Amino acid sequence: MSLYSTLLGFFSFLGYPLSNAAAYLFESIFLLLAASLSLVFMIYLFRKYMARVQLRIGPNRVGKFGLLQLIADVFKLVQKESLFPKNRDDLPYRIAPVMVIIGLMLAFAVIPYGSFFYFGSLTVSDTGVSVILLFAILSIMPIGEVLAGISSRNKYALLGALRAVAKDISFEIPMMISVLAIIMMASARTSAPLSIDSIVVTEVLPYGILQPIGISVFLVAMIARASYSPFDMGESDSELITGFSTEYSGMRFGMFYAGLFGSILLGSFVVSLFYLGGFNGPFSGDLGAVWLGIKALILVIISFTVWLSMPRIRIDKFVNFGWKYLLPLAMINLVISGALTLMTGW
Amino acid sequence: MIEVKEPRRPIPIIGSLKGMLIVGKHLFRKPVTVQYPEVRQELPKRFRFRIFLNLDECVGCTLCEQVCPNGSIHMQSVERENPRNKRKIYPDVNFGTCTVCRNCEEICPTDAIYLTHVFETSRTRNSFTYSPEELAMNEDEVKK
Amino acid sequence: MQDFIEINFGPQHPSTHGVLRLKAKLDGEIVKEIEPVIGYLHRNAEKLCEMTFYADNLVYFDRMDYVASMLMESGYLEAAEKILNIVPPERVLWIRVIMNELSRIASHLVWAGAFGLDLGMLTPFFYCFAERDKVLEVFTEICGSRQETNYMSIGGVYQDITPGIVDHIEAFLESFPKRLEEIYKIFVGNDVFISRNKGIGVMSREVAIDYGVTGPMLRASGVNYDVRKAEPYLVYDKLNFEVPVSYKGDNLARFLVRFEEMRQSVHILKQAIRKIPDGPFFNPKAKKSMMIRLRGDGEYYARTESSKGEFGVYIVADGGVKPYRVHVRSPTFKNLSVVQELAKDQMIADMVAILGSVDLVFGEVDR
Repeated sequence: MSLYSTLLGFFSFLGYPLSNAAAYLFESIFLLLAASLSLVFMIYLFRKYMARVQLRIGPNRVGKFGLLQLIADVFKLVQKESLFPKNRDDLPYRIAPVMVIIGLMLAFAVIPYGSFFYFGSLTVSDTGVSVILLFAILSIMPIGEVLAGISSRNKYALLGALRAVAKDISFEIPMMISVLAIIMMASARTSAPLSIDSIVVTEVLPYGILQPIGISVFLVAMIARASYSPFDMGESDSELITGFSTEYSGMRFGMFYAGLFGSILLGSFVVSLFYLGGFNGPFSGDLGAVWLGIKALILVIISFTVWLSMPRIRIDKFVNFGWKYLLPLAMINLVISGALTLMTGW
Repeated sequence: MIEVKEPRRPIPIIGSLKGMLIVGKHLFRKPVTVQYPEVRQELPKRFRFRIFLNLDECVGCTLCEQVCPNGSIHMQSVERENPRNKRKIYPDVNFGTCTVCRNCEEICPTDAIYLTHVFETSRTRNSFTYSPEELAMNEDEVKK
Repeated sequence: MQDFIEINFGPQHPSTHGVLRLKAKLDGEIVKEIEPVIGYLHRNAEKLCEMTFYADNLVYFDRMDYVASMLMESGYLEAAEKILNIVPPERVLWIRVIMNELSRIASHLVWAGAFGLDLGMLTPFFYCFAERDKVLEVFTEICGSRQETNYMSIGGVYQDITPGIVDHIEAFLESFPKRLEEIYKIFVGNDVFISRNKGIGVMSREVAIDYGVTGPMLRASGVNYDVRKAEPYLVYDKLNFEVPVSYKGDNLARFLVRFEEMRQSVHILKQAIRKIPDGPFFNPKAKKSMMIRLRGDGEYYARTESSKGEFGVYIVADGGVKPYRVHVRSPTFKNLSVVQELAKDQMIADMVAILGSVDLVFGEVDR
């Protein structure tokens, strides 16, 4: 029972081919709506949380408690003129923000959200290889950033893109290796260890407890993926203005902004799925999605606190850190979890 | 002379976590900002902005015009019966350039010109200059 | 032949603290050469001072170092009162010391917050400004305005300190050290903050002296020089305080020296607030219409310790009611010139950190 089959049953009067198409269409629309609404909520939450932590009040003028502030901001951004630098490389300049958004939305499509009462499983698309698919999708977003940095022909943007590339390379390998440890552990208990769904189902004891090194490496990698402080070298605002998105304005800038918050949310989902038991919990047959949401929300708050209280690390120190500490740690984690798997059958 | 010591090398990550905790704790502290039009901060007694002029007291000595550091005050002749002000000249103030230095209040021999708590004096570009009569009026009357 | 990226940092840039422009030549991430370009906030303050009365010039000095205007005022008055032969009463000197130290705290708090922002720490900035706001509230209570105070006048101060204000300052001194330590912990406890500052931008003692660097930057390089001790003015010789010195000379040392200075300022304030003698708060020779009739002759150079360094005011008088020439030795200008030396062959991120550690206020550099 999943969202897809519920929709299929709802549209069954149309005959199979049409109802199949309608089910997929509506599923995608639901996904897009839910993803963009949660992004808006994320930005609202961030602004409110940042304001309260910084002894301010935060948005409170538009709507009750300022809940409509972000909607108003989106309208403002859409209305604004999107400036184009004269010497831009036209096509990459235009598609770069779109690529970031597409990568983000696709990633939301492969995450298993767990089940929720009547609707059943909320997972949009479940494949047997969703782990590989997820990380393949995650690597689309950096392309958008690099394209943006190079095509806007701005020195700050170029430096930001170079930094972003250096950063991406140095954290992605440790990230993948720590995911490998998860897959290794899961493979002992399930026949489909490449599907996130079945990985989570095996997670009676959260992998975060079994692999404390793995979760820290992965968390650092996810912070770097979303590129906020302390690892926001690509868009370090006090050095490179805003890095690769310097020349963007209007909604094109809004897309990069949404990409940043989307990556935080995505990172929180992924960490809670892989390491914190995901949608497992009491009554997970009905409340699975709620458990996942709560875990992700706590991680989101933690990442906001990290963002707000850490200074920016220097790029060469981060590259050092990535290759000299994260990578060996990830390797050690791999060995330890392999030994654990062999000895205990976990 | 004391030599400041570098802090002991902190245990990695623990210090950062402590900092995060301090930041997180501020969530429960009261905000320091004030929602301006609804809530007004109580201003101290000496807070000064809008200049008022007591037309009856003013003797037209032009000291305020002389002391004004950036020439915001000019004397205007006003037809008005005042035995103490024979020359019938009174100051006007251009609030576009006034920096509220209070030198005019300080120097006025009869305390005719003085600054007040009123600070909501938003006006359009061409009406920054308050004539002597307007200086004697309340802000509401001036806006009419 | 080597190719460098030439880049203009500023004048509109988030980390230049106003309107500094840096012409930088980059080799990848490394800064090969920088040249600060100043003058974007030039307001002709020195020349304007020649056109107004001695009493009015305070307004222009308020706007030099606008985050610590009381320090600028007392610096000017040191020179102007000597020229005009006006002796302020004893009570005024103590009030001025209190205002100076409050201003020093306010100025260092702005610096600490902005330095955090330069390094990417968003939150401590607001804590620093929340504390600074309490100082500004004291200022409002004393003189009616927050930043450009125009509180001190020749031969005195405009308004007297009342018991209520003394209580307010004491309440502030009660709560402030705790909050200061909290802010200090957020900064210094952080590994990334330490790694970004320790050993970065090391200025040796010789370089500091050669460039005429003064203030906390000089003291962080191991020179024990503070005008308050070396040539006491006001009543600093009657107060008990220490001058913090560090021998490391890097960014972290400057940070620590400034924080220690704030603690010493609290120490000074606690002594001074109890010792204010009774008496008049102005010299009647410079009151009311005498304000604009003061005449002076000769020339005088006075130096004071502002929050940035040695603030010198040189006044030449020709017997008229207006000064013939006013010249200001701005500490930040001298401190800024050493950035060229420090930021050479450093990463861009370090250049920003070094620039932040100088404590730039452009009202004072450009005047």
